[in-house]
Amino acid sequence: MKTPSKLALLAWFAVGTAGTLATLPLAPVAHAAPAAGELVKMLQTVDDRQRNSGDYKSLVYIEQKEKDKSDLVYQAVIYRRDETDKLVIMFLKPQAEAGKGYLRVDKNLFMYDPSVGRWERRTERERIGGTDSQRADFDESRLAEEYAPAFVAEEALGKYTVNHLKLTANAGFDVSYPVVELWLDKATGNTLKRQDFALSGRLMRTTYYPEWMKQFSPSKKAEVYTPKEIRIFDEVEKGNSTTIVMQSVDLNSLDDSIFTKAWLESKSR
Amino acid sequence: MSAALGVLLRMALRNLVVHRVKSGVVGAIMFFGVFLVVSGTAMLDSIRASMEKSITSSLSGNIQVYSSEAEDELALFGSMAMGASDIGEIDAFAPLRELLLGIDGIKAVVPMGIATATVFGGTEIDRVLNDLRVSTQAADAEGTKMRFEQLGQIVGRMRKDVALAATASSDPEKVEDNLASLDRVLAPGFYDELVADPSGTLDWLDNKVAPVAADGRMLYLRNIGTNLDTFPKSFDRFRLVEGEMVPEGQRGILLSKAFYEKQAKNYVARELDKVKKQLDQGKTIAEDKTLSELVARTATQYQRIAFQLSPVDATVVTEKLRAKLGTDGDLATLLQSFLTMDDTNFADRYAWFYAEIAPKIRLYELPVGEEITLRSFTKSGYIRAVNVKVYGSFEFSGLETSDLAGANNLVDMMTFRSLYGKMTDDQLGELAEIKAASGAKAVTRDSVEDDLFGGGGGSLETETTTTTGAGFDEFAGVKLGAAGSAGALDTTRYTTAQMEDGLALTAAVILDNPDDVPAMIETIEAAAAAKGLKVQAVDWQSSSGIVGQIVMVLQVVLYAAIFIIFLVALVIINNTMVMATMERTTEIGTMRAIGAQRPFVIVLFLVETMLLGAIAGGLGAAAGALFITWLNHVGVPAVADALVLLFAGPRLYPVFTASNLLFGMGSILAISALSTLYPSVLAARVPPVVAMQAKE
Repeated sequence: MKTPSKLALLAWFAVGTAGTLATLPLAPVAHAAPAAGELVKMLQTVDDRQRNSGDYKSLVYIEQKEKDKSDLVYQAVIYRRDETDKLVIMFLKPQAEAGKGYLRVDKNLFMYDPSVGRWERRTERERIGGTDSQRADFDESRLAEEYAPAFVAEEALGKYTVNHLKLTANAGFDVSYPVVELWLDKATGNTLKRQDFALSGRLMRTTYYPEWMKQFSPSKKAEVYTPKEIRIFDEVEKGNSTTIVMQSVDLNSLDDSIFTKAWLESKSR
Repeated sequence: MSAALGVLLRMALRNLVVHRVKSGVVGAIMFFGVFLVVSGTAMLDSIRASMEKSITSSLSGNIQVYSSEAEDELALFGSMAMGASDIGEIDAFAPLRELLLGIDGIKAVVPMGIATATVFGGTEIDRVLNDLRVSTQAADAEGTKMRFEQLGQIVGRMRKDVALAATASSDPEKVEDNLASLDRVLAPGFYDELVADPSGTLDWLDNKVAPVAADGRMLYLRNIGTNLDTFPKSFDRFRLVEGEMVPEGQRGILLSKAFYEKQAKNYVARELDKVKKQLDQGKTIAEDKTLSELVARTATQYQRIAFQLSPVDATVVTEKLRAKLGTDGDLATLLQSFLTMDDTNFADRYAWFYAEIAPKIRLYELPVGEEITLRSFTKSGYIRAVNVKVYGSFEFSGLETSDLAGANNLVDMMTFRSLYGKMTDDQLGELAEIKAASGAKAVTRDSVEDDLFGGGGGSLETETTTTTGAGFDEFAGVKLGAAGSAGALDTTRYTTAQMEDGLALTAAVILDNPDDVPAMIETIEAAAAAKGLKVQAVDWQSSSGIVGQIVMVLQVVLYAAIFIIFLVALVIINNTMVMATMERTTEIGTMRAIGAQRPFVIVLFLVETMLLGAIAGGLGAAAGALFITWLNHVGVPAVADALVLLFAGPRLYPVFTASNLLFGMGSILAISALSTLYPSVLAARVPPVVAMQAKE
């Protein structure tokens, strides 16, 4: 048998080392970037999984931690009718907050406070109940429609392999942040991490979705995915963070009257 | 003795005349030093006195007492620091008030608190839709009809604007959508739709028509919570401008006149006021680019007038504008043309605007008599809102033009507490319960990815089986409707005890004798410590924040200048006298030879400089006094806003006192003596033999 030359051995060693390095989880993996169509499909999967063709109701716990301040906690109920772009967030606890809420109809977000009995038009960037959470965190996911994706790299997040995507807002959509980066679990397609950027490129928020709930929806005739927990870290006011825990989800149909100002008003009378 | 003094004075005078150049230079420095001391200290004393008047009699009282556990310093007129300051809390005001009123020399104690709030200005269409909601709910047919006509007026003008802007729009579909919505409102049957289904139609108007108009704006209010019943008695500069005082024991707000003028006024009126102010200062629209841009920008905002006119008033104004301008056209065109002003017609049109247009529009947001919703981010982080009635507007006499003095509005203590939102122990307990029941585990920012995803590899997904059935009852155990009576204004008549005895942030202390401040601060702190109350007392200057800091800076600058001048004087006098000693050794030696003792020589030199000091300093003091007298006659204008507060009005009329003159003269004589010590001792050491060795 012919002995390999020194040069061939060196080449073999170099290829082997490069191969080993490529499998290390920390460095971005040198894979061919998915095609644009594939990326849009990834976003559609994220959106479709969370979309329910019928109604949606969930009981959530919201906790806001702020540096040098006592924690802000709420229990709220979310009602959603994605078909007609309607959303209601109503605070139930603590007692002093019970009855306050938000109503989204089309592109309008209104806030109601029963203690003053008045509605106010709010912007898309409204901090729900003074926390770092926003309307979009509770609403239907419309990433594929609102943003154009670009592939960044395949990376590791903890022990998960993820696709890192950079999304830029499409013209004509009123989104909270013009640039978003997403880390999607390669195995399940679920969003694990999200970073929101201002137009200047400044990082505003980092959000984690450590667990997703699957629930069969009779109206959709498929499973609906809901993040069991959302952890939002404020990157501007360092030290501030918001935790959202979905305590219960119900996919039964809701009464039409819920998505009106009159309903929210009537609950506190 | 007197003969010796006479000789000394004659000799000193002769020497000053003989060495007139040196005397002139040193004298000039002395003159300037004393002039600066007299005029500078007189100005500073006058500023302090006027500022004391304006601050103590408008907001602070002579002394402010607040928590000794405060993280930040109290700043009633705002501070340089960004963000909300933490001045601690006085949980129970009653014991502190009793303690303070028990101290001799304290005339009154007023509770205070500071809370900022926002008021949503809203747009004209939002306002009309709100009014429509109220009138339809109250089945007020006449009111509904009237509001509907106003809505039609606004929507009609919006349609014209949308159609006009359509060609430049990058989203024609949206324009079409907007036009369709606006056309539906203008269609003949829409009023019937509204009457048939008020709630649904108004929701549609809120969602489809209102967003077409520009966004409303947020107004920010800094509020001082206080006992409004006793405030005017304790602060004599307070003057009600419009409306009435808040009825005794009731909730209410008094808005500062400056807030109305600078923030709440109709945009066009406010901009026209700005233009007028600058023209009064001598600028011209033709030559000043910024001013001409301001005028041009104001003209583009004609809608802020047009949208506010009722259908009837719109017709009247259109007719009057046609006559005034001598041109034809619709209201929008006429208003734009009217607002396109130049130096020749501004004064006339400004007056015409206030005479003919202003009375027909909503000149100020949050007008007196209106019920407004104050909203605040409380100390605890929760948002609190409260409805209060605007009972009136106020200003502080002499400080009408000061934005700083007008930066605060006044609310009752109950409203302050609502906006401040301190949580009770029960409320804190409730939060702890909600938190415990949530099951959310604690993670830190630094290790979040490891904590949440470090144990990965398993499934990120959990299955939930509940798909049908009753779901969950979100209202189980929830008490709705407890937050308030759904918007009704709180008209409870609170007792003085209820108003005063709860939470406050500071106590304003009014003294019988304002000169007692330093001693009273010590007395108050000692008495509070003996009772175990954790409070600190500060004078009006410290509590005023940014304004007090300005006076401190002025004081430091003045004293630094005086110090430098006197240091220079000291060195120059010293050097001059040392040189004089060397030049005059023969003369000194001769004096010593004919029997003058060393002390005589020392005293001669001292008298010489002090005589110069007395003459030059006297002239300097006189010049300083004359300067101050002249300033008192003409007044020093307050060119910046902070100066209005410092000067207690638009001009300061300073006065000098005997103490300013004495301080000036005393300083220069002391400097003279000090700077001559070394040269005079040097002169005294000149031996008599020097005179004999001197060359002819």
